[in-house]
Amino acid sequence: MTNGPAISLKDVHLSLGEGAGRVHILKGIDLTIEDGTAVGLVGPSGSGKSTLLMVMAGLERSDSGQVQVAGSELSPLSEDELARFRGQTVGIIFQSFHLVPNMTALENVAVPLELSGDAAAFDKARQELEAVGLGHRLHHYPAQMSGGEQQRVAVARALVVHPKILIADEPTGNLDDDTGAQIVELMFKAQRERQMTLVLVTHDPALAQRCDRMIRVRSGEIEEEDNAASLARETAGAPI
Amino acid sequence: MNAFVAKAPTGFSLALRFALRELRGGFKGFYIFIACIALGVAAIAGVTSISRGLTEGISAEGQSILGGDIAFSIVHREAGDSESAWLQTLGDVSSVATMRAMARRPETGDQALVEMKAVDGAYPLYGEMELEGGGTLADALSQKDGLWGAVADLSLLARLGLEPGDTLAIGRATVRISDVIASEPDKLAGGMELGPRLMISEEAIPETGLIQPGSLVRWRYRVKLPGTASEEAVKGVIAEAEETFPDAGWRVRSRANAAPGLQRNINRFAQFLTLVGLTALVVGGVGVANAIRAFLDTKQAVIASFKCLGATGGFAFQVYLIQMLCLAAIGIGIGLLVGAMLPFAAGAALSSVLPIDLAAAIYPQELGLGLLYGILTALAFALWPLGRAHDVPPTALFRDMVSGKARSLPRKRYLVSTAITVLALAGIAILLAYDKRIALIYIGASASAFVLLVLVARLIMAIAKRLPTVRSTELRLAIANIHRPGALTPSVVLSLGLGLSLLVALALIDGNLRRELTATVAQEAPSFFFVDIQSHERDAFETLLNTETDNANLRSVPMLRGRLTSLKGVPSSEIKAPPNVAWILRGDRGITYEAEQPENAELTSGNWWPADYAGKPLVSFEDEAARELGLTIGDEITVNVLGRDITAEIANTRKVEWRSLAINFVLVFSPNTFAGAPHAHLMTLGWDEDVSADQELDILRSVSSTFPTVTAVRVKDAIAQVNDLVAQLAWAIRGASSITLIASILVLAGALAAGNRSRIYDAVILKTLGATRGRLILAYALEYAILGIVTAVFALVAGGVAAWFVITQVMGGSFVMLPATAMTAALIALVLTVGFGLIGTWKVLGEKPAPVLRNL
Repeated sequence: MTNGPAISLKDVHLSLGEGAGRVHILKGIDLTIEDGTAVGLVGPSGSGKSTLLMVMAGLERSDSGQVQVAGSELSPLSEDELARFRGQTVGIIFQSFHLVPNMTALENVAVPLELSGDAAAFDKARQELEAVGLGHRLHHYPAQMSGGEQQRVAVARALVVHPKILIADEPTGNLDDDTGAQIVELMFKAQRERQMTLVLVTHDPALAQRCDRMIRVRSGEIEEEDNAASLARETAGAPI
Repeated sequence: MNAFVAKAPTGFSLALRFALRELRGGFKGFYIFIACIALGVAAIAGVTSISRGLTEGISAEGQSILGGDIAFSIVHREAGDSESAWLQTLGDVSSVATMRAMARRPETGDQALVEMKAVDGAYPLYGEMELEGGGTLADALSQKDGLWGAVADLSLLARLGLEPGDTLAIGRATVRISDVIASEPDKLAGGMELGPRLMISEEAIPETGLIQPGSLVRWRYRVKLPGTASEEAVKGVIAEAEETFPDAGWRVRSRANAAPGLQRNINRFAQFLTLVGLTALVVGGVGVANAIRAFLDTKQAVIASFKCLGATGGFAFQVYLIQMLCLAAIGIGIGLLVGAMLPFAAGAALSSVLPIDLAAAIYPQELGLGLLYGILTALAFALWPLGRAHDVPPTALFRDMVSGKARSLPRKRYLVSTAITVLALAGIAILLAYDKRIALIYIGASASAFVLLVLVARLIMAIAKRLPTVRSTELRLAIANIHRPGALTPSVVLSLGLGLSLLVALALIDGNLRRELTATVAQEAPSFFFVDIQSHERDAFETLLNTETDNANLRSVPMLRGRLTSLKGVPSSEIKAPPNVAWILRGDRGITYEAEQPENAELTSGNWWPADYAGKPLVSFEDEAARELGLTIGDEITVNVLGRDITAEIANTRKVEWRSLAINFVLVFSPNTFAGAPHAHLMTLGWDEDVSADQELDILRSVSSTFPTVTAVRVKDAIAQVNDLVAQLAWAIRGASSITLIASILVLAGALAAGNRSRIYDAVILKTLGATRGRLILAYALEYAILGIVTAVFALVAGGVAAWFVITQVMGGSFVMLPATAMTAALIALVLTVGFGLIGTWKVLGEKPAPVLRNL
């Protein structure tokens, strides 16, 4: 654990697109996320929550403002430094899994370790896959696995570097309820045991309910913050 | 307060590992890529290997081709006593005399121009002279029953209707054809042949009366050095010959340089075909770029995943560069395999056509060249699209939220690398070329065509975009397809345009050359050249021609042969002449003298000498040759005539219209230069109007029977022979150039296949909205036809300009556009684009909407 917040955003602005099509997406975001907490980002489609997630992961650069993640100020980092930063500090889980089709499960999980030059990449990858219950599927290709298995490989890949920050974008969006629940269980168990900071974007009230904090984003601004309990009350009727 | 960001070892070995894992997916989508590279590499490796095989063949048979280890060749005269005595000290010597003469069949009066060769008893020193009858040469040429024997090429027997045993008149002698030549070991040493071979014994020469003072006879003395003489020993003898007989005027050749003319032609032809191969490779390069672009489009998510997991842009580039190189290596490997086998295939297939044995072998150096060109072309066309892998945004993974900040051009480092590779490719091609000027022009023209085609494609798209909306839905769809993002326009125009431009250029050059030969030259040229008219028979000869012909134009000039041995005091052997005039310094040239300025001579500088001029020898030099050789009025040149060096001062330069085939000489001397020297005369006979072949043959018969030692060259026969040669070369060139068109077709097919994905989408949406197959076919056909026509028009203009340049600027001829060639090019373009396009699209039209719509 680091001293101070895991993620700190101060007056972050971001616009995308060119010319007349340019859209102001993040409008002065101020946000601090403490180390070891689980945070859910919610809000309607197009509100800017995924963009906010990308800024936290060092995938998107803000136009202005200060972005500090796991003790690193991201603005001055070059593209390549950002890539290395992500490889070593941030684990990312996508809605569409995004496994490399021509690599086996083991190879997919070993990728971030190989990129960081870890000599024991495959041993660690094997352990991580066994930990998510895929010890028997090490040498299978993504196309030979179910959606749930693929997402478990993706979770193992995100966790294998023992990142300080785990970021998930609609991690259960492409899965059925039972499989989704298993994935959620895996993520939160890892977050607890490894004391990671978890930030996830979701439309699923049950999933948001499990977070320590819920942040609502609307039109590129943080409209309000609420805790999980209030969210549960609010979303008891219909999904957000 | 940045935390430490550790630098990970994302080096080559890791990129290689990733690349190999990705390649497990197979080569789907890369067959065109591999085929494009394989085709170009096979063409280059094959052509250079065959050329090397021919060179090695000449080298291996050097002694047989030359007829000895060293050959001394003299025009007009035999070797003097001291020269002969010295030659005899070197080893075994064989002498051979060659000249052109008329062979006549006494019974019918039919005659034919023959390449006569008189040999001594020692012939051949190397190699085997084979006769169809299987007997020995000595026996076949011996005198029997008062008649000397002769052997001849089968074509002479066929032309005159002769059988072995029949008699034939040659000069004033009658010889008996005793056998037919099956194989003549030193045939290649003779150079350009205007007729079939007739071989007699040297002892029979006096009887023929063909060799008179000044006759155009070449004596060759071949020497077989004792034992196995080293190259140093051969060089030593040549140096001694130059030192002992500096004024001999003979041309000395060694076995290492047995057929320089043939070698030059092989080199020139190989250079041209290598450049054609390179064009095929460059056309294929468009396919490489297309394949890489399409491949990277499908890999956006994988690249973005790598980047999310910590890969740098440079690392992503490396992974895909290695994959591209692996695929290129497969193409190069196939190309090299085919290229390595080509000399064996060509050797077997062309054994009856080639004048020498092709030394078929695997030539690593030539294959290495194919490898180098293959790698450089793959890099030149792949670096640019691969550079885009660097900047694939990792945000591409989050739904469709690409940031919109993607670069339109790859980073500077990839642009610079592309430029360096392209320059290296062009530099190597020029550096290794036999004629660097031609290679530079060819590459410059190809590069210009390439850039112009890119611009044309953009122009078509820009125009299509700005066209007002048309009423026809099909035409509207066709126009939209031409300019929309990801349109086929650049690929089709570029690939087909380059191949077609080359074909049009070659077809127009070929057509213009034939037109020049058959129409222009034939109209302006005289009908006959009469050679070796002795001074004492000149008047009688002229009288005969005047009697036999009406309104004929006769022109007569004295003629000798001589070698230019020095220019401005510099020996010819030390002068590096430009390729287009190097022939003037090679071997011996016809020379003449004139008291007065000839009617057809236009002076470009200086003045003609007075008719009674008696001072220092003066010479009139052909204007262009003088300029190219750096000669001006007042410079001194030396010619060796009849073993005597004569130095003359350039008095004027003169323009020569070579195409007229009239009597023209590079060198015309003042008459006093050759006072007293024995020489013969050259006469031309022509008419202003067309004369029938029968009339010409009657004159030929009459001249041959009255003046049997005068050689008549019928210009129509000579032109027909040259035309045949041009036709053979044209077929070979056209065949080789079709490789470029095949590359174009491959690229076209690849581009159309790559475009099918978006076409399926269009077709399904349009079919869902009620479009019939017929309407869709019409729309696609219109699109392909527009692209085909535009490409054909470009090919006609670019190919026409290239052909015009070659014909008028390089060959000095006149150029006309040939409409039939133009129509053929347009037709090829249309058939290829519409044909291939519709074949590819047919599958698209058959797609059922439901499955596609479910996956949209």
